Amino acid sequence: MSVPGISEPTEAIARARAGDAEAWGTLYHDYAPAMFRFCRRALPTREDAEDATMDIFIKLRRNLGQYDSTRSFSAWLYRVAANHCWDILRRRKVRQDKETEDVENVPLEHPDPSALDKLIEERSSEEVRKALGKMGARARMALVMRYYSDMSYDEIADQLGVRRQFVGVVLLRARHELRAALQGNVALAAGGKA
Amino acid sequence: MSEPDDDVKRDGNLDANLAGRHLDEVTCLLYLERQLDRARGQEVSAHAADCASCKTLLRALERESRLLTRSMLEEDEALPSRLAAFQERARKSMQWIWGLVFGLAATGIYALYEGYIQPLQTQLDQAGFGGSNLLSLMIFQGAFWKGWQSMLTLIEVLAMVTVGVFCAVFFRRRLRRGSAMAMVVAGLCGMIALPPQVAASEMRHSESITISKSEKIKGDLFLTAARCRIDGDVDGDLYVFCQSVDVNGHVTGDVIGFAQSIRVNGPVDGNVRVGCNNVTLSGTTGKNVLAFGDSIRMDSDAKAGGSATVFGGTISIDGTLGRDILSYGHLVSITGAVGGSVKAHGDTLSIGSTAKIDGATVFEGKKPPEVASEAKLGSPVKFIKIEPKPEYRSGHYYVWQVIWAAAFILFGLVLFTVMPEFSRQATNYAERIGASLGLGVLVGCGAPIAAVIACVTVVGLFLGLSTFFLWYASLYFAQIIIGALLGQWLMGRTSELWPLIGRMIVGLLIVRLCFLIPHIGGWLKLGVIIWGIGAISLAIYRRMQPLVAQGMPAMPSPIPPGTTIGGMQPV
Repeated sequence: MSVPGISEPTEAIARARAGDAEAWGTLYHDYAPAMFRFCRRALPTREDAEDATMDIFIKLRRNLGQYDSTRSFSAWLYRVAANHCWDILRRRKVRQDKETEDVENVPLEHPDPSALDKLIEERSSEEVRKALGKMGARARMALVMRYYSDMSYDEIADQLGVRRQFVGVVLLRARHELRAALQGNVALAAGGKA
Repeated sequence: MSEPDDDVKRDGNLDANLAGRHLDEVTCLLYLERQLDRARGQEVSAHAADCASCKTLLRALERESRLLTRSMLEEDEALPSRLAAFQERARKSMQWIWGLVFGLAATGIYALYEGYIQPLQTQLDQAGFGGSNLLSLMIFQGAFWKGWQSMLTLIEVLAMVTVGVFCAVFFRRRLRRGSAMAMVVAGLCGMIALPPQVAASEMRHSESITISKSEKIKGDLFLTAARCRIDGDVDGDLYVFCQSVDVNGHVTGDVIGFAQSIRVNGPVDGNVRVGCNNVTLSGTTGKNVLAFGDSIRMDSDAKAGGSATVFGGTISIDGTLGRDILSYGHLVSITGAVGGSVKAHGDTLSIGSTAKIDGATVFEGKKPPEVASEAKLGSPVKFIKIEPKPEYRSGHYYVWQVIWAAAFILFGLVLFTVMPEFSRQATNYAERIGASLGLGVLVGCGAPIAAVIACVTVVGLFLGLSTFFLWYASLYFAQIIIGALLGQWLMGRTSELWPLIGRMIVGLLIVRLCFLIPHIGGWLKLGVIIWGIGAISLAIYRRMQPLVAQGMPAMPSPIPPGTTIGGMQPV
């Protein structure tokens, strides 16, 4: 879980902790684009993402002393970002998604593999990003945490407040929602056979 | 990142015979994301190898994962200008703090100069050390400096390497490694490129050393022994670290000595600078005399071309001085001739009938000076009586307390910003009160003793002086650490730098206020210093301990070829 092209900024972190504004600027310069993209994927609007990015860095500056330097800085930063974005979404009274309520009763289906293969084959990255914007907050958040910031199942469970063994189901439900948004195919979105 | 999940047992299908069934989608996803345990993973692998439909589903899900990751990581929007501007704002927000720090520093330095350095400089000027401040007089322009320059090359190299290593360590975290190394190497090259020193040096160490009358030493001479007798001539400076010293020969340079008893009978062309229990000067000194001791005596035959600065219990000036006297002593007696003025501090001053003082005489003491009527004085003695009133009754005392508190805050700011981690650790260790106090007593008493022992061995002079300097600095740092701890107790714990500095300032002010309490303030100060030194020592000790290797992170079990799984669906 790291920001591509950036090695661990141990020196800059130590200096930023000591109050070095220059080092703080370096950290911001290196990590702000990745954090903005994270927020952009997780939150519904661009303005939300901008505000959240600034808030995350203000929080980061205040809590940099809590960072355990033996762990990955990027991983810690993504946890802070995920926590912040999920807080925003919860404050907006995001509806509890169905998959977290009846997650234990999710039917075990075997979808039509060739139809799914075809759907994926025909879709571009841009279409997927647009589809993400149409998804529910929790499903989108789950996909962003897993496939953007590469967070573990434990971390996702912790953030979303679900039991760890149901994270796979939450992710699968989110994929179904994404497929539905991509195609409008109800059968596929439900996870049933096409 | 992923760990196998032993809990994923969704129903009885897990252990069922897979024959005749398809894998469900959840199981396929968990398999791809390595969330299944080894046994179930192997089941899925085996099944997928024989089932075209499940193999296709696994491939499709994997492609879907890749598509998702690619879509999210692609940079489709540049960083908004609002966020770019935010970086600059964040940078500027710190500038006022540095302005405040530099302002405080400037005020502190000015106050210190006005209050202490300038008056001292004026006094030294009066005593014949015009044009030099105390530091440059004692170290850079005087015999001490010459001594350093002419010390053995080995010591110079050791000192330079030590300084170099210290600089490298210090700058390593602040500059890029290449820049730090370039600075240190350039500095060392510069030092090495300096012109070599001229004088050769000779060092002798023995139980008893005698330089016979026929012996002539070319260059500087270093002696360490229980007893030293120098009857021969030394064409250079003479350094002695002995119990008892007699200098009868001619020294063309300076005499610098630390001894229990020192007697200089022979002529010295340069300065005499000594720190001894008993000092007796009987010969001629070409330049100045600087002496610290319990008993300092300048015989009637003694002559000095320059001035005398003496700090001691009993001071007798019976000889002839070309310039001024500055003395701090319990009993001061003058019966000789003084070419300049006299400025004396002490309990009593006695000026005998044979005394002759060309300049002004000022005495600051408890009793009026006893002046013989036959004494020849350039002007009447000016007496300033020292009133034995408690110092806390004067406003001046409180002004200086405020200045000292500001200086401490400034010192703390510098330390906490330069060494934030260390300061934080030392503050945390101060919470172990018993351990800190115990170690504080040990280090507080042991470090100066060790430093003195190191200095006496000469080879360890640099180490000894460095230790002593660090110990002295820690007396002040200790108070700051305890201040920070007290602040944390009052205002709550924090791990951030600036809130910690805020707590340090609050705590330090309270600690300094407690020191002002009559009678017990001094004991409190002693306790705080010992406590703080112990905490600092604990922090240093912990830092020097080897780090315990971090446990290996739990690796996800490799997915065997094949893999999984959970539930199966009827075909």
